Amino acid sequence: MTDVAAPSGIARRLLRRSAAARKARYSTIKIWVGAICAGIVIIPVALARVLPLPDPVHGVLKETSLPPFSPGHLLGTDPNGRDLLSRILHGGQTSLLIGVLAIALSGVIGIAAGAAAGYFGGWVDTIVSRLLEAQMSLPLLLMLLLVVALFGPSVPVITLVIAVAQWPEPARLTRALVLVEREKPYVAAAQVLGLGRLKIIVRHIVPNILSQTLVVVFLLLAQAVLLESALSFLGAGVQRPYPTWGGIISDGRELFVTGAWWLVTIPGIAIALLVLGVNLLGDGLRDRVRRAKAVTG
Amino acid sequence: MSDIEKLVDTAESGTGVSRRAILQFFGIVGASAALGSTVTACAGPQSSGAANGGGSSGTGGKLSIVLNRNLVSLDNKLNQYDAAVTVQRAVRQALTRIGPDLKPELVLAEKFELTSPTVWTVKLRSDVHYSDKSPVTVEDVETALKLYFQVKAGYVASQFPEQPTFAKVDDKTFTLTTKKPVVTLDSLMSNILITPAKANKAEELREGIGSGPFKVASADSGTGTYRLVRNDDHWGEKALLDEVNVSYQEEEGARVIAITSGQADVIDTITPESATALKKKNDIELVQEPGTRLIHLFYNFRKPAGHPLTNPKVREALSHAVDHDSLISSLMNGLVKSAEGVVPKTLAGFAKTGEYTFDPAKAKSMLAAESVSNLKLTFIWEESEFAGAARVMEALVDMLGDVGVKATLKEIPKGGDINTWRRGEAGDWDVLGNGYGNQTGLAITNLQGQYAGTAAKEKTRDTYHGFVFPEVTNLLDQASAEPDAAKRDTLLKQAQEKIWALWPAMWAWTPDNVLAKRKRVATLELSPTNSYDLSKVKVSG
Repeated sequence: MTDVAAPSGIARRLLRRSAAARKARYSTIKIWVGAICAGIVIIPVALARVLPLPDPVHGVLKETSLPPFSPGHLLGTDPNGRDLLSRILHGGQTSLLIGVLAIALSGVIGIAAGAAAGYFGGWVDTIVSRLLEAQMSLPLLLMLLLVVALFGPSVPVITLVIAVAQWPEPARLTRALVLVEREKPYVAAAQVLGLGRLKIIVRHIVPNILSQTLVVVFLLLAQAVLLESALSFLGAGVQRPYPTWGGIISDGRELFVTGAWWLVTIPGIAIALLVLGVNLLGDGLRDRVRRAKAVTG
Repeated sequence: MSDIEKLVDTAESGTGVSRRAILQFFGIVGASAALGSTVTACAGPQSSGAANGGGSSGTGGKLSIVLNRNLVSLDNKLNQYDAAVTVQRAVRQALTRIGPDLKPELVLAEKFELTSPTVWTVKLRSDVHYSDKSPVTVEDVETALKLYFQVKAGYVASQFPEQPTFAKVDDKTFTLTTKKPVVTLDSLMSNILITPAKANKAEELREGIGSGPFKVASADSGTGTYRLVRNDDHWGEKALLDEVNVSYQEEEGARVIAITSGQADVIDTITPESATALKKKNDIELVQEPGTRLIHLFYNFRKPAGHPLTNPKVREALSHAVDHDSLISSLMNGLVKSAEGVVPKTLAGFAKTGEYTFDPAKAKSMLAAESVSNLKLTFIWEESEFAGAARVMEALVDMLGDVGVKATLKEIPKGGDINTWRRGEAGDWDVLGNGYGNQTGLAITNLQGQYAGTAAKEKTRDTYHGFVFPEVTNLLDQASAEPDAAKRDTLLKQAQEKIWALWPAMWAWTPDNVLAKRKRVATLELSPTNSYDLSKVKVSG
């Protein structure tokens, strides 16, 4: 057998060009770029209440539609004279709050339902799988609009609706992973030792699949933020005058052609950066988790 | 062979041009090609005056109009926003019309005279006929009048003090009799569009024939697109245009792009921001006229007894919180005028009753004097009911907050159930942002439609948001019945003063009518009622 501990200089160079090494590099780049993109948005949004920013709801009408880099208004103002930076950061808090709460809830629902379906099989699996299929066959945005129209737009309603809309993703993955895990010897050992089925799932199976599932749940954050923005854009989000990203863009779109480009472009960039960042970060983490799993396997 | 050796072999075999490199190259080429074509397709609006294939002389040619609201019908039983009237009257005509001086002019009628205090005698012109050459008959007028009053929540019918009784005299003559004198019936009848009796229904008419200078070539009320062609058999003066294409685009930005790129020739009722932007374009002209549409923040007069809003002092106090000068200069680019009465001052019979003043200190002290604290108000309005509606409402939240009033906003989407809200059936509200158009040029039309509520009408929720004050209604009824113009104006003045003293609105304003047209549209006379005669529009080039 060849000695793997000490490859020659040429081999090291070739190793760096290998597919495995390239994938490792890509995932690192994705994680870094993703973290930077998401961080540029998330950190200021999280600090919005601490930063010395004007009130996002109260404006000064005399300062109407100021362009970016105007004195006292880094990103300009909207027609009501409200600071755009403040509105974007405070609006981001709403979007992120809804997004984080929604993915937490959809993660819990998805992992619980998927784990039960995968482990118990039989009628539990049938019910969960059919529910998944039924939900996935519904047009997502239309369903969200319907529920918001019925129950009114508020943070709890929008969060709940997005959470319920997103649970199939983690549930499907969890079910598939649990189907594999339940055949492994450690599960059989736990059964032999007399552990209850619920305890086996919660204490042994779920911790083994959690890293992969959490990456998928994290990826849903981008989708949740986009959904919240879409709802706000369509007028079904948090009510005026409180800012949301979709709402700011919706209000600014008619002024875009009249020259007030910043009202649409800057919140659009914020959404794009966050979604791109979260997706790249999640993608990179998924690659890393897969590799780690493969090496462990 | 170990894993590492396999890896090395794989890597070594990849020297030179690898499959990955080839795929990447073609990927980049493909993406560039796709991006290039997309960018070309999405290039910004380019002026193209010939987009509509206009005629080269003064007559003929096509005109493209892009409205801001869906023209769901070609009559006005329920749907009479300003720009719609332009198109509706190109196809269907009334006995009279309101001229540029806001006075009634005869159209289908040859004679429209008050022959006794309560009887009007009308004679149809002998030569009037529809586009299929069938004559306009007195039965058609009778049916039209009846159906306008039958339609539920009819906007036009509410402007009549009462439904006139129709009586046929001969084939061309009939009388309209009312219980009390209605001296402005000739103006009011300008809103009753005549359709063949058999084709008329107690609902909006989405196509069909009329006696106007254009006939409908195709109509799709769902998408709001209509193609009108010149009615070559028109009984009167023929239209100058060959064809008019009507469509609608909710997005103000899209309408601005449409006219800038030459896809549209005319866009009307544009926002102050768009007007400012379009002023800079060389091939576009703005037409601006003082308007007859009143926009107001109207209080809900259906609040239970004891509610602060039932107190006129509280209503007045709240109006002092509105900084209308800032709203006009910052959000409306100076294209509106703050009301000085309860109807627009462009209307005949208007009386100046006062001015809205901004005085937050007075607002606070008046609210305190009435022991009103922690007042919470809900504002409702239909999306795009007036230019910059949402921005105005958000600014009001600020202004009212400064006097200790908390305002909640509820924007009703277009096409939503604003009428149900207005009738108080969808939920409670306190202030309504609403526009009230006027197509007769008469103050009494607005006053009758808004302030002549009665207890009987309120039972069916047919009053203007619960405004029922018998002393005002009596004055308006007397004015409607007064044949002497001077005495009528005196009565109207008294009624307007009484209404103003009740502070029905937090603030009201009248926007100028602003329309943008490409310069190829040579003649277009915008009337104060924010409509124009399509038959006289000429295009060139």
